[in-house]
Amino acid sequence: MRSSSWRWAALLLALTMVAAACNSATSDTTQPGNTTETTAAPTSDTTQPGNTTETTAAPTGGDEVKNPGLLVHAADDEPSTLDPAQVEPGEGGETVILQVYERLLEIGSGGPDLVPGLATEVPTVDNGLISADGLTYTFKLREGVKFHDGTDFTASDVKYSWDRVMEMDLPEGAAGVLSDIVTEVRVVDDLTVEVELQKASAAFLNTAVVAMVSSIVSEDAVEANGGIVAGEQNDFMQGNVVGTGPYTLTAWNRGENIQLEIYDAYWGTPAFLDVRIEIGPTPDVRVLGLRAGDFDTIEADPSFIGDIEGAEGVTIFGQGLTVEPIHIGFNLNIPEGALPAEDTIPTNFFHDPLVRRAFNHAFNYQGFIDGALGGFGDFNPHYIPQGIFGYDPTAPVYGSQDLVKAEELFTEAGYCPDGFVVSVITEEANLFETAALVLKDSLESLPCNIEVRVLAVAEAQFDDAHAQDPIEYAMWVKNADPFADPHSYMSSYQHPDGEWGVIHGFANGYADPQEVADLIDAAEVELDPDTRAAIYSELQFMLYDDPMWLIAGQEGVVAAYRTWLKGWESNPLWPRPSLRFALIDK
Amino acid sequence: MQIRDYILRRLIVLPFLIVGVSIIVFGLTRIGGSPVAIYLSHEMSSEEVAEIEARFHLDEPVPVQYAYWARGVFQGDLGWSGVAAAPVTAVFPNKLAATMELAVASAVVAVSLGIGLGTYAGARRNKLPDHITRIISISGAAMPLFWFAIVMLIVFWVYLGWFPIGRSTPEVFASISHPTGLYTVDALLAGNFKAFRDAIWHLVLPAITLGYGATAIIARMMRSSLVEELQEEYVDAARAKGLAERLVLRRHARRNALMPTVTVIGLSFGFLLQGTIVAEIIFRWPGLGRWMADSVLRGDRATIMAYVLFTSVLFLVVNLVVDVVYAYLDRRVVLGS
Amino acid sequence: MSTTSTSPPLTTSHESAFRVRLRRMGETSGRVLSNPTTLGGLVIIVVMVGMAVLAPWLVEPNTPNASQMPRDWGAIAVPPGSPGHLLGTTNTGGDVLYGVIWGARTSLRLSLIVVTVTVAIGVAVGSLAGFRGGRLDEILMRIVDVFLSIPELIFALAIAAVLGPSFRNIILALAIVFWVKYARIMRAQVMHVKQNDYVDASRVIGDSSWNIFRKDVLPNSITPVVVQATLDMGNIVLVGATLSFIGLAEAGLAEWGVLVSEGQAGISGGRWWASTFPGLMVFLWALAFNLLGDGIRDVLDPKTETR
Repeated sequence: MRSSSWRWAALLLALTMVAAACNSATSDTTQPGNTTETTAAPTSDTTQPGNTTETTAAPTGGDEVKNPGLLVHAADDEPSTLDPAQVEPGEGGETVILQVYERLLEIGSGGPDLVPGLATEVPTVDNGLISADGLTYTFKLREGVKFHDGTDFTASDVKYSWDRVMEMDLPEGAAGVLSDIVTEVRVVDDLTVEVELQKASAAFLNTAVVAMVSSIVSEDAVEANGGIVAGEQNDFMQGNVVGTGPYTLTAWNRGENIQLEIYDAYWGTPAFLDVRIEIGPTPDVRVLGLRAGDFDTIEADPSFIGDIEGAEGVTIFGQGLTVEPIHIGFNLNIPEGALPAEDTIPTNFFHDPLVRRAFNHAFNYQGFIDGALGGFGDFNPHYIPQGIFGYDPTAPVYGSQDLVKAEELFTEAGYCPDGFVVSVITEEANLFETAALVLKDSLESLPCNIEVRVLAVAEAQFDDAHAQDPIEYAMWVKNADPFADPHSYMSSYQHPDGEWGVIHGFANGYADPQEVADLIDAAEVELDPDTRAAIYSELQFMLYDDPMWLIAGQEGVVAAYRTWLKGWESNPLWPRPSLRFALIDK
Repeated sequence: MQIRDYILRRLIVLPFLIVGVSIIVFGLTRIGGSPVAIYLSHEMSSEEVAEIEARFHLDEPVPVQYAYWARGVFQGDLGWSGVAAAPVTAVFPNKLAATMELAVASAVVAVSLGIGLGTYAGARRNKLPDHITRIISISGAAMPLFWFAIVMLIVFWVYLGWFPIGRSTPEVFASISHPTGLYTVDALLAGNFKAFRDAIWHLVLPAITLGYGATAIIARMMRSSLVEELQEEYVDAARAKGLAERLVLRRHARRNALMPTVTVIGLSFGFLLQGTIVAEIIFRWPGLGRWMADSVLRGDRATIMAYVLFTSVLFLVVNLVVDVVYAYLDRRVVLGS
Repeated sequence: MSTTSTSPPLTTSHESAFRVRLRRMGETSGRVLSNPTTLGGLVIIVVMVGMAVLAPWLVEPNTPNASQMPRDWGAIAVPPGSPGHLLGTTNTGGDVLYGVIWGARTSLRLSLIVVTVTVAIGVAVGSLAGFRGGRLDEILMRIVDVFLSIPELIFALAIAAVLGPSFRNIILALAIVFWVKYARIMRAQVMHVKQNDYVDASRVIGDSSWNIFRKDVLPNSITPVVVQATLDMGNIVLVGATLSFIGLAEAGLAEWGVLVSEGQAGISGGRWWASTFPGLMVFLWALAFNLLGDGIRDVLDPKTETR
């Protein structure tokens, strides 16, 4: 008992010294320079697997590469599933699915062009793989491809994978991407598949074939683990991966990390680095980790730039635009009595085009883009993002705040100066919340007694609210799912019978719902690009006067990564973080 | 005799307190939302939901529901954690081990620092060192951990690069088996020095950060009981015998002053336990606290309830043990209300 | 459980007892403030409370809801010293100075509401239990024991979580959690004081129970409650800010915990101001009340236990 406190103190000191010793020992023994392949850490302890490293705490500043042989990506959220049939577009699971599964075709680097994936050739009418009537697509498959479990990849797996998605038809998944267009998938021989469509479509390859939902899974593996049950998730596929991609899944520690390992028997160019995806570090920890060199890439958005700028050893990439406009939804289908108690708006509030236009005029676009997006962003017409076929630069956009016009419209609609209270729900602590705050400030600066309540909630909670049908909030903020074809945007976000058209009750608001529907339908099957573009242009003009969204802005592509990465490449058409890990080396 | 009665009485009261806590926790599950929610995984069919409703008698009066809920808890059914996508009890042990490791390491820091500072201050009552020490220790209690931790992280992780973030280097962690779940202990059991080093190295920064806060409680107690002891007659007697002041302090006063300080160690454990929530968020420590914080934000009530129930029971037991030890050490303790 | 100070002299004249108390209060204050650190704490408190009270005159709100941060979308994350933004702005253009000053108001409001409510409930419950004793005492104290079994922050976090994120719910959660300490302290005091001679004396001269309680027991029991309340003025803000930090307050609130959380990402990027100033405020606030409470306790009773 006598000198116990000093003993404690001594122990503490000892611990600190041990730790310091660990640190210096590491610095001494870690090999400088780059290692491309998995190399054994220089240590006497031989029980370690080859590709380990312990440089997590090596001092920053030097040229020393941390974690050689391993790519650490800090993601912002956790996948809810790794099953292609279940994953929701834009969700964290897509990030992993992109790396571990493959599709028949892939979106190549550096643009929207398609490249062969598990198929050896991109079908065109010219090469005869698309029938003259545009209804039959033929895919020649790659030979000698093996799934992660060692079984062979054949045409049967393709048919099985697509049929499985359509048969399961999970509400949270994107089965519609296939079932809306595909009539039948036929196995011609072991290495040939034919797909029969319901209608000719200019968008089939760009929307369906490359989508994550169309990833090819192993028939044997699924059949051995629960098979296909309509309407029910497959627990095995939800957390396991048997694909053909350059990575295998080695561990998914929920709330912690996902570990991917290089797939040695990959048919193509093998990946360079193993991958660890850190799940859900808060934005500050992501930035700190990138600075410390523990994270090689991080999920970032333009608001991060100011925090990262000038950091040593970090490269910031800011070029081009994402194809996921940040939009604020108007609910024209509010269930009676569902809104938060504070809201005073009637349920048919947004049926009135004056109100929707007033919102669109009131928003402080410049403040959002210059302020929140740090200048990395641009405006958008309804509803085709820049960089997508059919975008008409001459179409009118809401891009400058016009408070006078907004006040006029609110007055005309009868909401000024008596005002109203409306709640807008958003994920907390990201750009969506910022957009909601801009909306709040914009509307509250009108002399109309308007109050906008920003309900910033956790991502999962927002996702739950957002996935409801009907939605129990009048307004919400999110971004569009990324698509490669204009039809996907138009059908999802503008068509009265499309996904959001139904949930939000667009038919209650359009001056002429049928006309909108007809135009979108016509554009879908129009195979002549010029005519198709003309239809989309007409829609963009029309929807300006009858907006169903408030488009806060089209966010710029911003990424930040350690300068020691080689071969870093990003394509906004790939699921976030828009990276193929297999291309990256360090 | 007296001691035994005291311990016995505390032991008898304990189950009642636990039942009391469980009633509060149960009450929380009934605020808002459907009571069945804590048992639902995200993909349950309506038959399964109906089965759960029947099993826990959710159509019967609330006291009956409580009985079935409590029985479920007793049998290890704490519901389904949406955050972990698994039953609560399946995830609990590993996260608990991580949290306990951090809490104990912080306690080591807090106790050693607290006793040291308290002694230093108490022996120099109302002199400048006393004031300075007082400010240092009270600062610990007043320091917003969420702010302090991020500052520590920036300095020691990002700029100095001395300590890492997280609990382990995943590859090293995976290289040993984990019979106890305590990384340090498992590393020693495996005789793997590299893993042990990895464990300690990750532990130091969060333990110091978290422990600093609890230092105040202990230092404050140590100081005041030392001041008390130094006014006792035996100290004067020792001084009269010509014993050096340093020896008086070390041999007599400090030793006796340590006694009452033991009691606040239990209290500071509660402080550390709740501190793990913030510390684990910021240091990315894969323990109960971060799980709890995630659950709070995602409305995962099964986890919240399990966490509150468990930490309270742990808190009660630790305090009981501390009190019993104290009562045993110091027969002078006032027994009775 | 030890008690405060010495018993007042036996007297039947409440008038003179009042004077005695007043004189003793004066003496006590003098002793409390003779300690420089305690005095320092008090000075910080005066400044902070002054800021909170004078907030509307110090920085004018330009939004309809003054408790919300005003945002300047033309000045995102500008450093301290920028025109119009003395302490800089946050990533959403919120004026840090505004947040610091109105945050003091939010904190003062939070701590005053919670302390008032919890002291009222705690004193009522504790007095009832201590003064009446018997079965009621047993029941009330067992309830208190149960509440004390759950660590404060965890309990408050759980309540605020099931109630849903909003600052009002944080206040409610803290009120539910913090009253128990007062009940226990008060009960112990009342039990002790009511055994004193002057209480018996009052009883002899036929005062009603209520009068005895009001004139003799309450004034002589309240000191440790005041000490605890002083400490809690700081602790409540600390716990409240922690809950806000975790994400249980509404976005854009002029509250220190919210601001620290929003400004955190910037610290490493050199935008230290958005997080540092509000964090410092929480620290100073809690520190000041802890210093003051500790100082008062030290003078009144050097050996008060911390629970």
